[in-house]
Amino acid sequence: MKTKKGFMLRSVAGRHVVVAVGKASIEFNGLITLNDTGAYIWEKLSNGITYDELLKDMLSDYEVDEKTAREGIDGFLATAREANLLDED
Amino acid sequence: MRYNIAGIIVDMNVRFPRLGSQSRDYEYDGERETNVKIRLSEQFYNDRLEENPHLDYEMIEYIWMGSEFYNALIHFNGMLLHSSCIVYENKAYLFSAPCGTGKSTHTQLWLKRFPGSYILNDDKPAIRINNDGTVYAFGTPFSGKTNQNVNKAVPIAGICILERDTTNHIESVTPDDALFNILNQTVRPPQEDCMDMVLQTLDKVLGKVPVYRLYCNMDLEAAEVSYNGMKPDDE
Repeated sequence: MKTKKGFMLRSVAGRHVVVAVGKASIEFNGLITLNDTGAYIWEKLSNGITYDELLKDMLSDYEVDEKTAREGIDGFLATAREANLLDED
Repeated sequence: MRYNIAGIIVDMNVRFPRLGSQSRDYEYDGERETNVKIRLSEQFYNDRLEENPHLDYEMIEYIWMGSEFYNALIHFNGMLLHSSCIVYENKAYLFSAPCGTGKSTHTQLWLKRFPGSYILNDDKPAIRINNDGTVYAFGTPFSGKTNQNVNKAVPIAGICILERDTTNHIESVTPDDALFNILNQTVRPPQEDCMDMVLQTLDKVLGKVPVYRLYCNMDLEAAEVSYNGMKPDDE
């Protein structure tokens, strides 16, 4: 999985925001704000990552049990898919 | 002809009276090097005219010279904020909102209520951060439908997002709350590196300048409420 081309994550005014550039900005001229976990997952996804790798990274970087990590990832992915922000492979 | 707009030396080939008269106060014949050169070609005019048959050459020049200027501004620690900017007691107050909300109507109330106040730019002030981190608003020749602009740089006291209401009240908003409104009222360039610069500038501006949300009607009291809510504390 990978975030769609043309979306960039930056930190502005202490908040994680995603905006669209290039062709993506024609269809999307809004603004997505993410919490710290969301930004972490987005960062991972922007380089391309599998579900299992993402889960493994999250378990080693955060002190969470597997169930909580899965819920976090699943929730994020569902929202991102709904907003059409992901390229799946 | 060269112009000094928001401290940037701009070389523009102005051909029509509207921009000609509005940019007169910005003419520059000093020693500084040109920072930005803007040329609109015959082909460019004709293409825009075809896409926008309601416009004429004069308006095309005014709109797209402005647009090129604000794109360039991004490269100089600057950004456009679509807003009506009023100056009072040598501090600039920017009122931003989507078209038709009543930005100019509100600053016109300030003119009536506060003698000595003046409009710096009625629609498209430039914002720039100088080397010591102070954030300034600048008049530019590009001020929307009205020709109200003054060639000055004034430190910003506050940015205010304006909303209509039946009564007048004002609140402070956190920078992250204001982000969405402000990003919607500036140039969002399609190029990633330029977008990056906009976000960096905005991050610095929001770190320095307080942001407010004003709910207002069209009574003179609205100006009073917004001034009292935004005026800097006496130091």
